[in-house]
Amino acid sequence: MSSKINHHHQNDKTNGQIFPQPCPHLADFHARNGTKPFRAIQDCLHIKPPGGRAAIRRDSSEVPRCGVCGDSSCPRLYACMACAAVSCHVPPHSSHVAIHATKTSSACSHEIAVDVDRAELFCCACRDQVYDRDFDAAVVLAHTTSIIQSSKPENLRKRRRIDYRPWSPDLRERSLMVNNASPIDSMSSSNGDLPRGLRGLNNLGNTCFMNSVLQALFHTPPLRNYFLSDRHNRYYCQSKNGVRLCLACDLDTMFSAIFCGDRMPYSPAKFLYSWWRHASNLASYEQQDAHEFFISMLDGIHEKVEKDQHKPRRNGDCCIAHRVFSGILRSDVMCMACGFTSTTFDPCVDFSLDLEPNQGSSMKTSSTKTNHSCNCEADGMNSSQNCGISTLMGCLDRFTRPERLGSDQKFFCQQCQVRQESLKQMSIRKLPLVSCFHIKRFEHSSVRKMSRKVDRYLQFPLSLDMAPYLSSSILRSRFGNRFFPFDGDESNTLNEPSSEFELFAVVTHTGKLDAGHYVTYLRLSNKWYKCDDAWITEVNENTVRAAQGYMMFYVQKMLYYKASEKQGTS
Amino acid sequence: MSAKRSSINRPPTPDVDRDRENQEPTLQEIINIKMIESGEKERLKELLRERLIECGWRDEMKSLCRKKGRNNVTVDDLVHVITPKGRASVPDPVKAELLQRIRSFLASTAT
Repeated sequence: MSSKINHHHQNDKTNGQIFPQPCPHLADFHARNGTKPFRAIQDCLHIKPPGGRAAIRRDSSEVPRCGVCGDSSCPRLYACMACAAVSCHVPPHSSHVAIHATKTSSACSHEIAVDVDRAELFCCACRDQVYDRDFDAAVVLAHTTSIIQSSKPENLRKRRRIDYRPWSPDLRERSLMVNNASPIDSMSSSNGDLPRGLRGLNNLGNTCFMNSVLQALFHTPPLRNYFLSDRHNRYYCQSKNGVRLCLACDLDTMFSAIFCGDRMPYSPAKFLYSWWRHASNLASYEQQDAHEFFISMLDGIHEKVEKDQHKPRRNGDCCIAHRVFSGILRSDVMCMACGFTSTTFDPCVDFSLDLEPNQGSSMKTSSTKTNHSCNCEADGMNSSQNCGISTLMGCLDRFTRPERLGSDQKFFCQQCQVRQESLKQMSIRKLPLVSCFHIKRFEHSSVRKMSRKVDRYLQFPLSLDMAPYLSSSILRSRFGNRFFPFDGDESNTLNEPSSEFELFAVVTHTGKLDAGHYVTYLRLSNKWYKCDDAWITEVNENTVRAAQGYMMFYVQKMLYYKASEKQGTS
Repeated sequence: MSAKRSSINRPPTPDVDRDRENQEPTLQEIINIKMIESGEKERLKELLRERLIECGWRDEMKSLCRKKGRNNVTVDDLVHVITPKGRASVPDPVKAELLQRIRSFLASTAT
C-alpha cells in the first residue's frame, strides 16, 4: 500500500517544532499553484463557536455528501482543493477520495483535499494527513479576524540572548575581596556533612508559617545567588536611604546568617518585626497562612524598591522578587454565540491551583504527559483502572482547561453588544524563573460562613515540563492539528526553548485549619532535608513524596544570560 | 492504489454500491440529515467532546496513539487501531446522556 511512504522522516525545526517535509504530491501542488496556494481558503473557513474549531464554511442546512456514493454519515469527508468535489474516505472499505485523485492530469492536480469538518489537509495519493505552513497560516488568519487582543503586553520586551562569559577576578578585584571579606572556614561547622546554607529557624510563637517559606527562599537559586553575591548590600542601602524598613535588607542579613556556617538555630526576630510593620493587619502571634505570608513578603520587597528607584514594573525587572517569581498569564474569553474572543495579559507571582474534586466515576488517571515521574504503580496505559490520585499536572490541566462561565457570569461581548455566555481559558504567556505552585487547601466559604481544609493527597513530580500549559501550546490545541508560528512577529524570543523545571522545595502542612504545622523539605544535591523550625534532618525521598504538599517550588533547569539594558545595573 | 486491506472488524458503514436514486434513504440517514440541518448534530458533537475530555477518554486515546509512535504511521492506521478501543471505552453515563438528547430531539421533530 502506498500509504506507508516515510515522508514524515525528514523534518526541519521551526520554533522548536518539528515540521514534516511535504509529500511529493503536496510539493507538486505547491509547484503548480504558487507560493501561497492556500490563502484563498481563508474565506472558505468558518470558525465555529464556542470551541473555535475550524471547518469548511457551509450553509447550516447544507448536508455534505460524497459525490460518488451519496453517503453523508461517514465521519471523514474531503473536499478537493482543485475542484471542490466532496468524497468520502472509509478505510479499509473504500476511498472515493483516492479514486478522485486519479483524475489528476498535467493540467490539474486533484491530489490534495481538505477535511470538511476539521479543516485539515489530506493527501489522497498518500492516503494520509499532511501539514502545510501556508494552510495553517490561513486557518490562523481566519481565527484571528475574530480575536481582538488588548494591546500587546508591555512587559514582553525582547532582549537578545548573549553567551555566558566566564569571569575571574583581576588583581585589583582580588585585593578588594581579600581586604574586605573574611573566608568562611568550612571546617568549623560541627556537622561537616550537611551542605552549606542549612540552618534551623527558631519558632518565635506560631511562626512556622514564616520559617517554612523562608527556608524555601533561602534555597531558591536565583534569590540565593542575588543576595550572596551582595547585589543588595544592607549597609550600602541603609547609608544611602537611611535606617528604615527594608525587607530586602533584613533578607540580606538572614542570608548572611544562614550561609555563614554556624549551625546553631537562628532567630529571625528582626525580620518578623519588619514584616509585621509592612503587613500590620497580619501582625500577631496567631497562626498565619504560609502562602499569604509569601505574597506579602514579595510585595514588601517590591514596594521598597519601587519607592527607591521608581522602576516601573516592566518585564518583571522592577525588583529581585519579581525578577525571580514573576510570570505572565494569558486569559481568553470566548463568546459562545459568535466566537469573538477577548484576550488579556496579567502578571502573576505564583500559580494558585484548585485540587480536583472527587474523582468518583471518572476515568481520570495520573497524567500520561511526558517527563512525569509517577509514584503510582499503574502506568498511564492501564488507565481503564481508576487510579484516583490527584497530581500536580492534573491540577495544571484543570487550570488551563476551557471553563464555561455560568449564566450568572455572562460576559459582555463586543461583537454581539450584549452579555453572552462564554468560555474562559487560562494559559501561561511567560514562565517565571521560579514557579511556585500553591494548592488551595484552605477553603473559606463566606456564604456558608465556614472554612475547611482539604487534606487530599496530591502527587507532584521532581521534574516538570511546563510546555503543555504555555499559551502557544494551548492555542495550538485550540486550533487543532496545526503547525504555525505562534504570534508571528514574536518568533522565538519568548518561547523559551526550556520549559523544564526542577523541584527544589516543598512546603507542607499537617493538622487542621486552625491548628496545624508547616514543614519544608529542601532538595540539595539530590538529597532531601526536612526543615522543621529549628530541627533539620536528612530524609528519604519517599517521605517527601508522601507528604501533603501545600506550596511547591520549581526552578528552571536552564538559565540564560540576557544583554543588560544599561551598564552596571544592579 | 485501489488495493483494499482485508479487515475482519469493519466499522459499520452503509453499502457503497447502493444506487441512491432507486432506494429510499434509511432511517439512519434521515435522522442524520435532520440533525445536521437543525444544527443539533453540531451541538451534540460539542457536548460529546466536552464529556469525553472531562472523563479523560481523550487523554487515554492520545496516549494510545503515541504508543504507535510517530514514524511509519498514517491517520488510517491510527483510526483503525483506536476505533474499537475508543468505542468500547466510552463511559456509560456519557452514552446515556447522548442517547437521551437524541431521543428528545427526535420527539421534538416528530411529524
